[in-house]
Amino acid sequence: MNTLKEGKIQVNPHPDREIMEEVKEGKVEKLAILFERHHVPLYNFFLRLTGSQNFSEDLVQDVFYRILKYRHTYQGQSKFTIWMYQIARNAHIDHLRKRKEELPLEEQWDEAAAREPSPYEEVEKGQDIALLNQALARLPLKKREILVLSRFQNMKYREIAELFGWQIGTVKASVHRAIKDLGKIYFELSGGAAS
Amino acid sequence: MNCKKIQEKFPDFLVGDIDQKSKEQIQAHIASCASCREELESLSAIWTKLGVLPEERPSNGLRNRFYTMLESYKQELEKERPVFSLKKLFTGWSTAWWPRRPVFQLSLALVLLVVGLASGYLLNSARGSSAELTQLQQEVRDMRQVVATALLEKPSPSERLRGVSWSSQVKHPDAGMLEKLMTTLNNDPNVNVRLSVVDALYLFYDNQIVKKGIIESLSSQTSPLVQVAIIDLITDMRERKAVESLKTLIQTEEFNPQVKQHAELSIQRISF
Repeated sequence: MNTLKEGKIQVNPHPDREIMEEVKEGKVEKLAILFERHHVPLYNFFLRLTGSQNFSEDLVQDVFYRILKYRHTYQGQSKFTIWMYQIARNAHIDHLRKRKEELPLEEQWDEAAAREPSPYEEVEKGQDIALLNQALARLPLKKREILVLSRFQNMKYREIAELFGWQIGTVKASVHRAIKDLGKIYFELSGGAAS
Repeated sequence: MNCKKIQEKFPDFLVGDIDQKSKEQIQAHIASCASCREELESLSAIWTKLGVLPEERPSNGLRNRFYTMLESYKQELEKERPVFSLKKLFTGWSTAWWPRRPVFQLSLALVLLVVGLASGYLLNSARGSSAELTQLQQEVRDMRQVVATALLEKPSPSERLRGVSWSSQVKHPDAGMLEKLMTTLNNDPNVNVRLSVVDALYLFYDNQIVKKGIIESLSSQTSPLVQVAIIDLITDMRERKAVESLKTLIQTEEFNPQVKQHAELSIQRISF
C-alpha cells in the first residue's frame, strides 16, 4: 500500500506505520502509543475467539511482547493493523496448541460456550448476548475469525484477504457462509426447530 | 443478473461498502426473487443482531503488565549496549541499593520484612503476646509504607506503578503515605500512574485527606482519562459534597465536552 493511500485513510497525524518504524529503530517506548490505540479492540477480538477474559488479557500482552521481539520483521508495506492481527492469530493458535495438550479434543471449542454470563448480561439484553456468544463459539475457528474481523474489528474484506493470503472473493464467500451458519446455530440454540 | 451473481454482492451490502449501481441491481432482483430476498433478510437480521454484543474493557491490570513489560524490555536493551558516561555512572551508583530484577526486588523486600519482624519480635519479647502481635502488624505496615513511598519517588513509571500497588496493600495508611499518593495523583507526569492512584484511592476513601484532596484534584488534572476516573470514584462513593465542584467543572470552558457529559451523569447518580 503506498503512502498516499494510507494517508487518506489515516486521519491521525502520526500514522501507526510511522510509529512502528520508530519502534523498529529502537525507540521501543513508542510502543505505548500503539498499545493505547489498539489494546481494547485486540482484547475484544480475543474475547470473541476464546470467550475468556483471562486468556484474552494474556493474549494481548503476548501480542505486544511479540511485536517488540519481532519488530525487525515489520516491513511497512501493509497497514500496521494487518501485521498486528497476523501476530494475534499466531498467538491465538499457539495458545490453542498449548491448551490442546491440557484438554481433550472435544472440549477445546466449548470454552466460550461454557462461559458464565456476567450479571450485566443476565439483567440487560441477557439471553441474546449469551446465546450469540454460544453460537459464535460453535463456529469453526476460521469462520469465527473472519466474521469477528469484518463485523467487530471493522476490517475491510481486502485487508482480511491480505491477512489470510486469500482472494477477496473467497473472503466474501466465507463471510456469507459464516453468517448463514451462525444464524442456523443461533436459531437452534434459541429453541427453534433445526433446519 | 442471476441469483449467484447477486448473492456475491451480499457481503458488501452488509458492511455498507457498495456502489449505487450494485445496490440498485440487488433491489431490482429481490423485488422479483423471493429466495434471494429471504436470504438477504436472514443475513441482515443476524448481522444486525451481532450488534448487541457490547465492547468490553480489559482490567487495569493489563495496562500495568504492559508497561512493566515495556520498561524491563527497555532496560534489557540498554544493558546490551553499555555506554560509559559520568552521568550514568552516578545514577547507577545512586540506584544501586535497589535491585533491577523484580525477583531480587521481592527478595530484598522480604529480607527487609523478616529483619523488621525479627527486630520487632526481639525488642518486644518481654511484653504480652497481643502487644507483640500489634507491634508486628505495625512493623509490617511500616515496611510496606516505606517500600511504597520509596518506589513512588523512582524516575521510572513502572517502578512508580509498583509503588502504587504496594501502597494499596497497606491496611491503615498514615497521613504521610496518603499525602504522597495525593501528590503523585496531582503531579505525576505519567497518566497511567495517576490512573492507578485513583484505583488505589477506592480503598482509602474513608480518610479525610483523600476525601478533600480528590475533589480538589479534579480541577487540576489535565488528562480527560484521569478526570473521568476521578468522577467515577466520587460517584461510586456517593460524595454529595462534590456536586458543587462538578457543577463548576461543567461550566468551565476548557474542559473536554465528554468529561462534562460524564460529570452531568455523575451529578444525577449522586443526587438520587
